[in-house]
Amino acid sequence: MKKSALRRQAYDEPLWWGLFSAGGVCFAVVVPAAILFLALLIPLGVVSLDAERARSLLFSLPGILFVGAVVCLPLFHAAHRIRHGLFDLRLGRDKPNKWLTYGGAALLSAVALGGVLLGMLQ
Amino acid sequence: MQKSSDALPPLKRTWWLKHRYFVAYMVREATVLPLLFFAACLIAGMIALLRSDAAWSSWLEFMSAAPVLMLNGLALVASLYHAWTFFQLFPRVMPLRIAGRTLPSQAIVAGQWAGVVLVLLLFVWLFTGGAR
Amino acid sequence: MSTKSIRIKRYLPEQADEAYWQRYEVPVDDSTSLLDALTHIKETLDSSLSYRWSCRMAICGSCGVMVNGMPKLGCKTFLRNYPADIRIEPLAHFPVRRDLMVDMEVFLEHLAAVKPYLIDTAAENTEPYRQTPTQLARYKQFANCINCGLCYSACPQFGLNPEFLGPAAIALAHRYNLDSRDQGKAQRMAELNRHEGVWSCTFVGFCSEVCPKHVDPAAAVNQGKVEAAKHTLIALFKG
Repeated sequence: MKKSALRRQAYDEPLWWGLFSAGGVCFAVVVPAAILFLALLIPLGVVSLDAERARSLLFSLPGILFVGAVVCLPLFHAAHRIRHGLFDLRLGRDKPNKWLTYGGAALLSAVALGGVLLGMLQ
Repeated sequence: MQKSSDALPPLKRTWWLKHRYFVAYMVREATVLPLLFFAACLIAGMIALLRSDAAWSSWLEFMSAAPVLMLNGLALVASLYHAWTFFQLFPRVMPLRIAGRTLPSQAIVAGQWAGVVLVLLLFVWLFTGGAR
Repeated sequence: MSTKSIRIKRYLPEQADEAYWQRYEVPVDDSTSLLDALTHIKETLDSSLSYRWSCRMAICGSCGVMVNGMPKLGCKTFLRNYPADIRIEPLAHFPVRRDLMVDMEVFLEHLAAVKPYLIDTAAENTEPYRQTPTQLARYKQFANCINCGLCYSACPQFGLNPEFLGPAAIALAHRYNLDSRDQGKAQRMAELNRHEGVWSCTFVGFCSEVCPKHVDPAAAVNQGKVEAAKHTLIALFKG
């Protein structure tokens, strides 16, 4: 009986690892430019972005791709690393940690994608 | 005799402080913390856009506050450190084989950095006149 | 010939419950390995010291110890590379039985669990196996493991959870999965695609740093994740 419990297949892990890997690529390739422009150059006034142009850029089909690559996938990447980081630091138990981290990433992703859809309907 | 794996206490919480290599690993894992802050900023910006032009202006004001700029500057450094580590792992996880020969890992790493530059150029084109 | 001072973590369970440090002065020249130094101690200074060794040429994998916190083979570690203060401890993450000797039972159990041998479902096959150099090249790197266990001492995930199959066992499973003569991949994937299989790994990468045979077990484990993901997808579609 113990033998079969030990052999339990981790069918959910490929999903989390796939999202982690895709998010890792986005975090490495797309996010640096996004931070540089949206969080540094634009707030500093080096590059200007008014509300109207921001809306036309974000509330569009490419806007959905942008949110997927800069918010959603990196969030799942972060969730995976935080889950394993909590295990490394022996904080909490893995099962609730999984709900907390992946659930949080899913919730924020839904908010972000829902916002874009809402903006497209406005 | 007791089972061998039961005989050892698990590692202490501070195990990663004992070796430089493990500290570098923990720094790599921690790069996601400033990333979370940046993602939260973006979601806040999107909500501001949905609300009004005035909300967008106050979001820009919030983003230009010194602590916020510093945290996002840290996020930029973290994303580049993450990229540096992640690009080296890629050819080891997925060695690309062409005609029975493994592609040199330096070529794969260089290709990924070319991707970073390409995305940067796309942003330059988007935000500095080209796309208007 | 000069001398160097070595501190060894001693553990003699019939004398004391706690381990303690003991210092030895050993003669060294440019060719003195750590194993030579341990042998010198055992033969001339202190016959109560216990340690494992056999081949003296980094192929048997029995003389693994921690040298200043790094897992190393005693025979492949030269004292000329250590200026002063050499600390020798038993391999980390294994239960210590005596001095530098650890209990590797859990490691051996994990090795056996992945069925590290060619599995041929056509049992009546009497023809010799044929393999091209290209087919050999696919797994050759992962076939160089000598089962010394250094990677287990380097792996914090094994230290945190001894149920984790660990670097060497997964690298060995990967080696047979990549072998063109083998048909046992499905059996091994059932073992690898568990939380305690490939999914416990977080690519710390230290296992590959300490491997004396440059097997790169971290790469094998993470290529195993790709294989486990494919295995799961196939299982989903087959229902």
